Amino acid sequence: MLYKISVPQVADVEEIRVLEWHREAGEAVEKGDLLVELETHKAIVEVRAGQKGFLRKILAESGNWQAIGLPLAVLSESESDPVPEDAQALTDLPVDFEIT
Amino acid sequence: MTDQSPTAKLRMMKLIRAFEEALAARPDHGFQLISSGEEAVAVGLCSSLAPQDQLLTGGRSIGPAIARGVDPSRLMAELLGRSSGTNKGKGGRGHIADPASGFFGAHAVVGGNISIAAGVALALQMSGKDAVAAILFGDGAFGAGALHETLNIAASMKLPLLFVCNNNQLSVSTPRSLALAPARLSDIGIAFGIPSQTVDGMDLDAVSAAISSALAHVRAKKGPAFVECISYRFASHSTTARETRSREELAEIRALCPIVKQSRKLKEAGALSEAAELELGRSVAGAVEAALKFADASAMPREEEALQDVI
Amino acid sequence: MSSKPAAAVQKMFFREAIARAMREEMRDNPNILILGQDVGRFGGSYREFDGLFEEFGADRVRDMPVAEAAMVGVGVGAAAAGLRPLVSITYMDFMMLGFDPLINYGAKLRYKTGGQLTAPVVVKTTAGAKGQGVAHSQCIEAWLMSVPGLRVVVPATPADAYGLLKTALRSDGPVVYVDHKRLFPVAGEVPIEEVAVPFGSARICRPGTDLTITSHSFMVRTALEAAKLLEKDGLSAEVIDLRSLAPLDMKTIVDSVGRTGRLLTLEEGQITTGVGAEVVTRVIEHLGPIRFARVGALPAPISSNRVLEAACLPDAGRVAAAARLLQSPKKLVSSC
Repeated sequence: MLYKISVPQVADVEEIRVLEWHREAGEAVEKGDLLVELETHKAIVEVRAGQKGFLRKILAESGNWQAIGLPLAVLSESESDPVPEDAQALTDLPVDFEIT
Repeated sequence: MTDQSPTAKLRMMKLIRAFEEALAARPDHGFQLISSGEEAVAVGLCSSLAPQDQLLTGGRSIGPAIARGVDPSRLMAELLGRSSGTNKGKGGRGHIADPASGFFGAHAVVGGNISIAAGVALALQMSGKDAVAAILFGDGAFGAGALHETLNIAASMKLPLLFVCNNNQLSVSTPRSLALAPARLSDIGIAFGIPSQTVDGMDLDAVSAAISSALAHVRAKKGPAFVECISYRFASHSTTARETRSREELAEIRALCPIVKQSRKLKEAGALSEAAELELGRSVAGAVEAALKFADASAMPREEEALQDVI
Repeated sequence: MSSKPAAAVQKMFFREAIARAMREEMRDNPNILILGQDVGRFGGSYREFDGLFEEFGADRVRDMPVAEAAMVGVGVGAAAAGLRPLVSITYMDFMMLGFDPLINYGAKLRYKTGGQLTAPVVVKTTAGAKGQGVAHSQCIEAWLMSVPGLRVVVPATPADAYGLLKTALRSDGPVVYVDHKRLFPVAGEVPIEEVAVPFGSARICRPGTDLTITSHSFMVRTALEAAKLLEKDGLSAEVIDLRSLAPLDMKTIVDSVGRTGRLLTLEEGQITTGVGAEVVTRVIEHLGPIRFARVGALPAPISSNRVLEAACLPDAGRVAAAARLLQSPKKLVSSC
């Protein structure tokens, strides 16, 4: 099963800048792993995986911008599911996010 | 004032008195605030200031401006609206400015120049120059929030600022006791940790001594200081304000004249002869006459000047 | 048009554009300092001064007590005596406390001293409604437009937040720089080249042919949304971002209305003696009678109540409705 990791619905935020990815494409991730730090106009958001899987494709690299609700990366349960061109149609992966 | 000898200081007080009397006697004197009776405060303060210091005042500016060394001719021209005046005729008494002489300026809003003076002090502090700012205001401004906010900021930032309150005990028609809760205005310093003192504002030497010691504290970069001078004004608040005191009261007040007091003191000490005093009077009269002549020979601003120096 | 390489730009948050302008100007001129609440280590309420305290120190980035009257006075006085302070007033509502030193002294200083002194101070403040209640929501920049000696600028984008602030910090007299609470979440492209935006220059941010919408600050975004709605009705709206209220760029406005024939002014503040009132009057003075409408907040205090705040503030729907009425051949309408 494939998922997209989207920019969380942080209150009062329109778009974010990707600060730093803490995992690379191809890596396995566990539930609770810190995937990426995002910067809003107010604070930094830590996005953590809500379930285990494999990070397959990063869609917004460090320094790039993305709007709330739009995809940041593709994650799959198995290592080798083919990754589609358009990630928007995928199911959202549950994430935990923390504003620091 | 470069010459701070007792005679020079006495002359300066006489100059202020004569200048203001001559101004008030003119039919075109305009709206003026006269400081007759308060000359010791102006001269006691200014004779202790250094050339690089800056003095700011409220609306009763003429005496302090003269004491600070503003040219009486250019001052008279400004008061009579001439474009040869210090402010090109555009400020008048309420806004006299001559920063080159260390008279940063008057401002006619009661209490309005106090926080400005703190800003000037901040600039002096950051410039590293060995200079201080002094703000002269009356008991009428003592209730203003601006004073209390500025005392706090000046103390907190240790600004090189001398607060001088000329308490002539009347704000237009309102006696100090009706308007202000503290009887001793310098007590305000206690609240902010600012060294403060109250002195007799009719005594030139007492004012000079208080100002000198306060300035020493400020110059030592220890923060602001506060001096309250108790004085009496001989005239009403302004040339349009009704007098509120009785003839008897005014006579008692006039008996406290700081000029007469200083003259008597110097004579008793053998430091001033009758002849020397007469000469002072002549010199002062000459300076006032020259000022009036200069002003009368000067033109009013042209109408186009109304739109110059706006922005 | 010959092809020019696109100007190099960098996307950044509104607050970063402000911090960038401050940093560049503070590096360039040691006389610039910041006075405000929570501007030091805290970096400003919107983080608009992030990093400045670390770089320039406590002498140049000073946390002040809450005392707007004295704080503005200190800034104005320091400016008169040779520094170039930026006084930060977190909420425009509280600028009122500083009106005496800013307006009675600062704006009049050059005139009243016959040119001997001037006060190059920037008062930077944040206007606008965002759920914080009647005394934390006002847009009162229109009140300041008529003060002789005062300049007033109103950036609506990060690029202009940056460029106008640079110009403000180089001005020779007092400047009021008004941004908006709802602009801080906005990111936008800012030229990489260190270039200032001049005062008195409006920007056509959306060309159009059927009517001219002038606006400023956050409402420029509302105007652009309204223009998208109007496009669906076949109406082409030209949207002008005023950027500078005093001085106003009448050339750009008059030229636009001369082409479109209709003017809608949009502001978040009140329309009574508002920015729009002045724009409309001056356009009519130039062009003669034109069809116009002014849109602004309802004539009520802006409550923190979600429902009431939304009812009072202009939105794209209201603007589009007013614009459609303008097109009708019937009577002139002045709407709310």
